Amino acid sequence: MIWATWRIHRSIFLASIAVAIALAIWLAITGTMEEHAWTIFTSHHCSLNYPGSSEICMSSLSGTGNFSTANAALCGALPALLGLVLGVPLVAGEIQQRTNRLAWTQSITRTRWLLVKIGVGALFTAVIVGALAPLVWWWTDVAQRSHIQPANFDISGFVAVGYALFAFMLGVALGALIRRSGWAFAVGVPIFALVRTGIRQYIRPGLIPPTTVTVSAYTPVGNSYWYLNAGFVPIGRSTPGPGLTWSSNDLVMEKCQAAGYGAQKAAHSATYCEKANHLHYVMQFQPPSHFWALQGAETTIFLVLAGVLLGLTVLAVRRWRT
Amino acid sequence: MSEAGAALETVGLGKRYGRKWGLRDCSVRLPRGRIAALVGPNGAGKSTLLRMAAGITRPSAGEVRVFGHSPQRQTVDVLREIGYLDQERPLYRAFRVGEMLRFGERLNPNWCEAAARDYLDALEIPTGSKVGNLSIGQQAQVALTMCLAKRPALLLLDEPVAALDPVAREGLMHILLRSVVDNNTTVVISSHAISDLATICDYVIILSASRVHVADDLDYVLASHRLLMASSEETPELPPGVAVVSTTHSERQTNVLVRVEQPLTDPSWQVVEPTLEEIVIAYLREKGPRNLALGQPRGGDSSDDAR
Repeated sequence: MIWATWRIHRSIFLASIAVAIALAIWLAITGTMEEHAWTIFTSHHCSLNYPGSSEICMSSLSGTGNFSTANAALCGALPALLGLVLGVPLVAGEIQQRTNRLAWTQSITRTRWLLVKIGVGALFTAVIVGALAPLVWWWTDVAQRSHIQPANFDISGFVAVGYALFAFMLGVALGALIRRSGWAFAVGVPIFALVRTGIRQYIRPGLIPPTTVTVSAYTPVGNSYWYLNAGFVPIGRSTPGPGLTWSSNDLVMEKCQAAGYGAQKAAHSATYCEKANHLHYVMQFQPPSHFWALQGAETTIFLVLAGVLLGLTVLAVRRWRT
Repeated sequence: MSEAGAALETVGLGKRYGRKWGLRDCSVRLPRGRIAALVGPNGAGKSTLLRMAAGITRPSAGEVRVFGHSPQRQTVDVLREIGYLDQERPLYRAFRVGEMLRFGERLNPNWCEAAARDYLDALEIPTGSKVGNLSIGQQAQVALTMCLAKRPALLLLDEPVAALDPVAREGLMHILLRSVVDNNTTVVISSHAISDLATICDYVIILSASRVHVADDLDYVLASHRLLMASSEETPELPPGVAVVSTTHSERQTNVLVRVEQPLTDPSWQVVEPTLEEIVIAYLREKGPRNLALGQPRGGDSSDDAR
């Protein structure tokens, strides 16, 4: 059955390998260009936060900037697309060709047929996305200089394998339920995008309790931190408290600082107003040290979702008799 | 599989597609080692019955049992005993013929590779050809080979001869007969024409308009039907104890095919033993409610004991 699975879906497996190789070559080329540009950038003492007026600083990164966005999108979309493309025809393709009637009347139970097919497909998906991971990691390193930022986080490390396996199972499940490859794919893409964006926006920031620091005034946070929130909160607290937002106390501070004019201006400094209103300025962020814990937690979520879809698919296929 | 139980048994089996019944109140008991002809016009429910027996289609009503076990449960024990040829002959079109055989070998413990290769050699179908490039007839032969090489105890063949030329039909009939003799295989072959099967079948199931009209041994079916002929001008009263299957009138003669329980001796009618083909056509001609008055085919158990 393992051989049969490979043979039945061979063309799509081979096409996936070809796409992965093409992406690897493309990343190697553009990554090398990025690396070269970065060398020039740093050798002229340019800085990312303050690009400066030096012409060489401006031009050194502008040539590769176009690739950065495109490559990030490419690396972000690939695991999902690969998973869906490999998953959708696994059951739906056979139903459409009626070959399920052939397979389901051999001396093998339908559940075993399904589990072997899913096992082979999932392993292949994980291996191909996993094999690309180190290269994508290197590219993110040279092009983005950070892994914790959401767009970089999505393509760095092993979380992409979790995305791909979830997309794969989503494809298999939708294929088994809808029984049409085209429709399953068309429905699968928005569902995947919705789930991933939702988790990234609303769940990831709090997956690991974020770090908070108290600072007396606004200080820029480096690219290597994932900045979440900042604002004036009551002394003794590190978050705004129930019913309040991070900007709830902005007005109080503005009023206080606006009250000072002329000679009193210095007296009504931010420090003075914070003290007067029992506030302090707090910044909340995920530091680079939380990267692997966040990756582990988010990967687990996607693997659990994939597991739920696996259960659904087994039920759908076992119950299904035209 | 235990020796007890019929090869195929259905009780009140029915399948509804939306508001329409594809098959209704189907009760059949096919003993082992028989070759059953499943005949009926297109759309009568032949494929539906075979698909339910193969465990692919879920019945809406009633039960189906293969060697006493439900094929709906899809256990390996039952699956191993069923060789099912689907009407659409699904095959992996991108496979080479040899790969198709390998698929069968991998998935079936009783697979007989030598038999499969002999069969394909005899038909001059090269194992290196792509399945999708074969003719329709050759594809049908490959699909059939898959069923036969699995060496099941029950073959469910949906219109196996439809795409075959006369020589290939002969060949298939020979193989089926040999299989029945050598391995006590039970065979159900569907066809819309009895002439294809009349030479080898020893059991007849007549389906029409989603209902079973006859399901019995060939000998009994022949013995229990009579063709009555009389002049059209003065048609006599029908003898008592007969059930009319079909009446046809020509200018001079009225022919009535009837079902009888005992020998007929009515001098006003000319009584002839009909051929199987005549019986089948009589049933297929009358699709209307008149046939429902004929009642159910005889129950399986008692009739089996009687013979």
